[in-house]
Amino acid sequence: MKNIMNNFEYFAPGSLEEALKLLSQYGEDECKIIAGGQSLIILLKQGLITPQYVIDIKGLSELDSISGNEKEGLKIGALTTHRAIEKSPLMQNAFCILAEMEQNVSSVETRNWGTIGGNIAHGDPSGDPAPVMLVLNAKYKLAGAKGERLVEAEDFTSGYFETDIGHDELLTEIQIPAPPPRTGAKFTKFSQLQGDYAIASAAVSMTLDADKKTCADIRIAMGSVAPAPMRAKKAEYLLRGKVITDDLLVEAGRMASEEASPTSDAEISEQYKRELVGTLVTRVGKEAFERAAMA
Amino acid sequence: MKEYSIIGKPTRNVDGVAKVTGEAVYAFDMTLPNMLYGKLLRSPHPHAKIISIDTSEAEKLSGVKAIITGKDTPGGKWGLWRRFPELCDQTALAMDKVRFIGEPVAAVAAVTEEIAHEALDLIAVEYEPLPAVFEPMEAIKDDAPLVHDDFENNINTTRHIEWGNVDEAFKNADYVREDRFSLSSQHHAPMEVHNALASYDKGSKRLTVWASTQSPYFLQLGLADALKMREGDIRVIKPHVGGGYGGKNSTMPDSVNAALLSMKTGRPVKIVFNREEEFTTTEHRTAMDIAIKIGLKKDGTLVAKEVKLITDGGAYTGLGATTLYLAGTFVTFPYKTPNYRYDGVRTYTNKMWSSSMRGFGSVPAVYAAEIQLDRAANDLGIDPLEIRRINAMTPGYSASGEYTVESCGILECIDKMGKRVKEKWNDLGEDEGIGFASFAYMSGGIFNWIDTPYAFSGAMVKVNIDGTVELFTQASDIGQGHNTVSVMICAEELGIGMEDIRLHPADTATTLADLGAWGSRETLMNGNAVRAAAAEIKKMLVAVARMKLGENIVYDLVAKNKRIYLELRPERGFSYYELVKDAIKQNDGEPLIGIGHYTPHNKGMISPAYGMGIQAVRAKVDRETGLIEMKDVLVVHDCGQPINPPAVRGQVEGSTQMGLGYGLCENMPTDNGLILNPSFVDYKLIRSRDMPTIELMEVPTYEPEGPFGAKEAAEATTSPGAPALANAVYHAVGAEFDSNVLKPEKVLNAIRAKEQKGKA
Repeated sequence: MKNIMNNFEYFAPGSLEEALKLLSQYGEDECKIIAGGQSLIILLKQGLITPQYVIDIKGLSELDSISGNEKEGLKIGALTTHRAIEKSPLMQNAFCILAEMEQNVSSVETRNWGTIGGNIAHGDPSGDPAPVMLVLNAKYKLAGAKGERLVEAEDFTSGYFETDIGHDELLTEIQIPAPPPRTGAKFTKFSQLQGDYAIASAAVSMTLDADKKTCADIRIAMGSVAPAPMRAKKAEYLLRGKVITDDLLVEAGRMASEEASPTSDAEISEQYKRELVGTLVTRVGKEAFERAAMA
Repeated sequence: MKEYSIIGKPTRNVDGVAKVTGEAVYAFDMTLPNMLYGKLLRSPHPHAKIISIDTSEAEKLSGVKAIITGKDTPGGKWGLWRRFPELCDQTALAMDKVRFIGEPVAAVAAVTEEIAHEALDLIAVEYEPLPAVFEPMEAIKDDAPLVHDDFENNINTTRHIEWGNVDEAFKNADYVREDRFSLSSQHHAPMEVHNALASYDKGSKRLTVWASTQSPYFLQLGLADALKMREGDIRVIKPHVGGGYGGKNSTMPDSVNAALLSMKTGRPVKIVFNREEEFTTTEHRTAMDIAIKIGLKKDGTLVAKEVKLITDGGAYTGLGATTLYLAGTFVTFPYKTPNYRYDGVRTYTNKMWSSSMRGFGSVPAVYAAEIQLDRAANDLGIDPLEIRRINAMTPGYSASGEYTVESCGILECIDKMGKRVKEKWNDLGEDEGIGFASFAYMSGGIFNWIDTPYAFSGAMVKVNIDGTVELFTQASDIGQGHNTVSVMICAEELGIGMEDIRLHPADTATTLADLGAWGSRETLMNGNAVRAAAAEIKKMLVAVARMKLGENIVYDLVAKNKRIYLELRPERGFSYYELVKDAIKQNDGEPLIGIGHYTPHNKGMISPAYGMGIQAVRAKVDRETGLIEMKDVLVVHDCGQPINPPAVRGQVEGSTQMGLGYGLCENMPTDNGLILNPSFVDYKLIRSRDMPTIELMEVPTYEPEGPFGAKEAAEATTSPGAPALANAVYHAVGAEFDSNVLKPEKVLNAIRAKEQKGKA
């Protein structure tokens, strides 16, 4: 019954360099980075985390940008707001999955302030962007005192709220490669109320052969049904190289649901979530297929 | 219908500008010089003996000004059922044992909120946990632990209602069915949390409290009982209130402990609940199990109804005892029920107690009754609207003297609904369905369990020399717009403009008692008092005008457009302002003062009048996931004469949102008495994006007991959303439910159960 935050020392660095310096100084201690705070503030108020230091990077405008195109891929600065991505003219064709995903992230108020990097670095298995990043084959750029490195989105989250970010590192950029021709992507999240946390989510990116019927490549990701967003690799294997049919997509959904490892909570059973995510994979797979055929 | 100048015209809220610009002051916003912040230490146990409380470490903390425990309080018990002292069971702080998780055991006042909070961690309480009971059916067993020692089998209160010859009627019925429903709780979730600022003057020994309350009068009585003070030495002021919905009728530990700490320190003390405290330690809707049996003739005529229900009362009484009465009454509405028997039981359990909430008592009862009626219609091959039409009450209907319904537009509402549905929804999509539910509710309660010796409502009008009016009433605007309604009624009666009237609301020291904003009572009851007070003034002005005109006594005068004139010869009359000056001069310079009161008489024990109507929900169901998509809602509504139509509309929309939330997603799961979802992240409220469109059609009637024909508006509309939604889902995919909260998994399971049944 807290609902009152503990005191902490607050820093608002003026540059990335300054932020990294602060991190190298305090990162080892009870230190948290705030990049919008739409997730962090809740945890602070509930007393679930009690950091000694909070480094507010929201003001680092150098990390707030979107650039690129369909041929070269996208680079999205970590401090780009959800709303900026939702409204960006760059979210065309294969990238429209990003805008579609953002439209249903919480409320407009949250999207206006919350950042894509903050969401991803939070490592919440029910987060919406991560499964999309997995199927778009994204890479995350991490900056630290010792330099920069790139991590595959797939390797970034290892468990509930656990990520590959070192104590002295910041997530600075998301890199999304150009999609191959004849690629379609689709994401959906399932919740009873719009914008709520996902009970389950699914994303599919499918690339077709020149015949526009055979699946050349596919990536399927699921959210909220495991400690981290995950690929449904058996279902992908089933579809790769095959002529896509409705029956095959149903079978892929069934496989994906077996691959998932959801847990029951106070109100929703493990069985329901498992079956649900399979249904979502089938539905999203069909839409990705249709989009790929049109691309 | 009569053409009014102001009544029935869309009118801006008198406090609207202040609210939308953020200038309106709520208790939450208030501070006083030298003010201290209070916090409550709460029990982590659902049921435990308090062995010891050690506050010594906390007292040493710099900035802590006072700490109190149960033994430091005057020990006064209070409750809203004051006619039955044994049901006045609340205390400021737990005395000997705690009865629910979150019950306050100590209170701290400190110079900052943070220090008060820190002090709580330093108070050491030794508990001896006791066996606890959480479910009503467990609580009434002989070997169940007792929540209160004096209440055998944990039975808090019971209620029996009966008329006609029920057994005989069931014997003669062509069709009988019995259903059971389990209805869950729901939280009011007001925007403004419970909070109170108390300031005690040690010299005069008088207390002033500013609080977020629905009834300054109830709070004044609760504080008097709790503190063992005279009512008159306590002044309660209600600033703007950010929502009540039935959750702010009871006197709660925020105001009582703020008062006790202020009395101890001599400084103002403010206690504000945080959102988790709001969800876990303030009242909520009463959960109940209902067994409901109906007997009908082949043609659908209802001949008998029998209802048994048991409610999960929680640890104390609050207004929970009234639930039994209202559920037992409104489960019969709005249908002619010639033979009826009802038994209700309220149990004590080791949980936060349940009490009043918008559509109090009727929401769970109507859920059961309206789903059952649909099932009966289905079995008998009768259209769902037709079965409702066949049994609808008609004007003047009396249920064996228990209640009488004068104005009654339900038949017109049903007919209008039938026409509109045909026009609007003649083309249903796949897996779409339409569900109906009727509704009705009271215009204030006549039952007087608070035991007030005062008239139920009072108002005073003072007219200044320039014609400006000071209107004093204790009625509570808690967001529903009653301040505007009061001013509109006063202005209409005097024939003046709303800008001529300044309202002085909701201060127990300066206004005449009013029981507060609950049970949709303010428009009818306070409206009548305001109108009567204004009528006194009008009488004075008419007398002056008559004298000046020198006309025959039989000619009628009217007050309209700031003039008083002969009805048949409007050019013969005088300005209102001129008449006021004359009247005050003739009255030896005394300002004009009018006083009005209202108390219902010869109207039975329930209510003087009833609002009603019918709602339809169109919904689509996803057979693979169980997700319900609410498409749109139709409401046909009889609220008598609407006073301020946009306010009625706002209330219909808000109550529909709450009713659909009860049906769809709002619930309060517990584990051993612990509420598991006490935040807006986990407590699921329907937001604007999820709201279906609402089309509202008014069927105005004239209620003879109400001011200008008005009665209850749009509390009844909390009830139909949930059953109409469940009926829509049934008609869409055949899934049946014996409970509310239709989350996707439950819907999917029900669809599968139906498919299995179909195969078998």
